[in-house]
Amino acid sequence: MTEQSPFANERDQALGVELRAALDTADTEAFVARLKAAVADAGAETSWDVLAAWAPQGLVAAVVAATLIWLVGLPAVRSAPATPLASAPIQIEVAPSQPEAVVITVAIMEGR
Amino acid sequence: MLARRAASGDGDAFGILVERYGAPARRVARAILGMDEDADDAVQDGFIAAWHAIARYDPTRPFRPWLTRIVANAALDLGRKRKVRHTVSIPEHTASGTVRPDRATDHTLFRERLRFALEELPERQRIAVTLFDAEGYSHAEVAEVLKVPEGTVRSYVFHARRALRRALGAFKEDAP
Repeated sequence: MTEQSPFANERDQALGVELRAALDTADTEAFVARLKAAVADAGAETSWDVLAAWAPQGLVAAVVAATLIWLVGLPAVRSAPATPLASAPIQIEVAPSQPEAVVITVAIMEGR
Repeated sequence: MLARRAASGDGDAFGILVERYGAPARRVARAILGMDEDADDAVQDGFIAAWHAIARYDPTRPFRPWLTRIVANAALDLGRKRKVRHTVSIPEHTASGTVRPDRATDHTLFRERLRFALEELPERQRIAVTLFDAEGYSHAEVAEVLKVPEGTVRSYVFHARRALRRALGAFKEDAP
């Protein structure tokens, strides 16, 4: 290991040899064999794998969207007009006696 | 050529790249995480991630820094997740000059001291000096791995060497 300027391009060969020796162990070949097997087992990623990885997020997004639609749509359903008294005029016509005021009012409001 | 073949999905070509770069990648991961099984896990995670991302590799650019960056990131991520701060304990007799081991043992102790000194360095200095001096990367390649300017890499290497030299100086003085 020799003193060098920070602008020097040369490698410190002695330090390099010692660093490699310090970071290597005798089981390197076995490790590389295990690594190769692990990579082979992992296989290449297909487009289906990519889609599958996004599936949970997609599912959550779908649930959130469905909930929002339901929440926004609910007030509209609640404020929808009740079933009209479609038979009101008939009730008026066929009533044996004078129809009640409410029946007449409903018939007028419905424009009949 | 191998990297180009691998980029087109050739598993055999990637297998050869694993054989070629597995050991250097392990040394880089060990420089980051220490002599720990975590380093092996990080290398495996990194290679699998690289294989899955191989379609995104640009074959006009050098393969080695691309792969090393992925492995180094896997090691850094694992280090952050597991909060690993591995410390190699130095046998007590290496610190004092009272025991005079034979040359083989002396060399083993020197390497233990070197590993310890390396782990004491800031993370980026560790990576830079390992890639530049041990693995033969150019300053530009190290800069690509670390995503810093070349001048910064030179500074990292310079300071790392100086710290290692200082840490190992006392050992050399004690050596027979």
